[in-house]
Amino acid sequence: MKVLHYVNQFFAGMGGEDAASTPPVLIPGAVGPGRGLGLEISATLACGDDYFAEHEDDALGQLLAWLDEARPDVLVCGPAFGSGRYGYACGTLAREAFRLGIVSVCGMDPQNPGVLAAQGKAYIVPTSANVAGMRDALPKMAALTVALAAGEDPSAAGPFLPRHVRRNAFAAETGADRAVELLLAKIAGDTRSEIPIPDPGRIPPGPVLDIAAATIALVTESGCVPRGNPDQLPSRHARSWHRYAIDGVASLSPEHYESVHGGFELGAASEDPNRLVPLDALRQLEASRRVGTVHGWLYTTTGNGTPVAAAALFGQAIAAELNEEGVDGVILTGT
Amino acid sequence: MVITALPSIASMAGATRVLRGIAITNPVGDRSLTREQEVELRRAITERALTMLETEFSRRSVWELKPGEATTTP
Repeated sequence: MKVLHYVNQFFAGMGGEDAASTPPVLIPGAVGPGRGLGLEISATLACGDDYFAEHEDDALGQLLAWLDEARPDVLVCGPAFGSGRYGYACGTLAREAFRLGIVSVCGMDPQNPGVLAAQGKAYIVPTSANVAGMRDALPKMAALTVALAAGEDPSAAGPFLPRHVRRNAFAAETGADRAVELLLAKIAGDTRSEIPIPDPGRIPPGPVLDIAAATIALVTESGCVPRGNPDQLPSRHARSWHRYAIDGVASLSPEHYESVHGGFELGAASEDPNRLVPLDALRQLEASRRVGTVHGWLYTTTGNGTPVAAAALFGQAIAAELNEEGVDGVILTGT
Repeated sequence: MVITALPSIASMAGATRVLRGIAITNPVGDRSLTREQEVELRRAITERALTMLETEFSRRSVWELKPGEATTTP
């Protein structure tokens, strides 16, 4: 069994934040937490968290080249616990290693953005949010690594986060029988689903303190685009989002805007796209000084058949842009 | 904050400030109204959206359009 291990600069013993800009290094054998895995680690890959975040293409290029050369049975990443940058590097590296045909085991807190970055392409052992969970995490990651290297069923080797992989299986009863059973249970007060929806457990962000001086952006998943759909936003399974300048635009007129969403009937939207995005109303409230400024860009995508994990990545990217541009609050309309 | 006619789905997906919209096909409009009535409705929804943005919440919350109507926490 050949195992490689990825850690950040801190767990590689290179230093703390002062060493976070260290480019990737290849270290023979096990380092730091790798020694606690109880596995034979042939080499450790390490990279500074900031370097990975700021030079992702370069960092990935080097790390993947080493991985491709070594061709391990399993790549172990972390555990990163609640560390966002470290977790992001682990999840991203695991996802890209998957494209090379290399399976990965990560460890991180379920809320770590690295979980989304991995896009279901890694086996992620849920850990505590801080390093106190090291002793609990390492044996679980090791057990999963051994099972995967041996080609055994990983689900028998311990818990890992959902990978959003659906497999066909035969059920004892037909869908009609099961649906009726679920409906009767719901009427009796027992609401269940065959497809569990994870509770992201978020708490609301703080309020906009002075909305009369605030910049408010409009974002939508209603497929609202300039007429003619200049960027070819698809009607379903969108893989991108776009933004369109609305500086000086008083209203989303049907002459100039439309929706290309394929998930609902477009009659009402075609007559008046303001029914999807309330630009005309927000302009009135801007004129009456109820709100400071309407942000100069409308952000849009089609939310139709989009996995929550993919939509969350769109949201994160859009939020990062809006943050950078000094937007204080967002009105997002959903269809 | 999110305006949608499917507030439970928005809440399950993690949205923390949710306002119930009019319909799936027109969250911020109503073609059964006159033009003036509809513009007034949309202004009221947007005003309520701004109020949600400036309100402190300790838990994920869903608001109905009319302030007097029930406010729920999923």
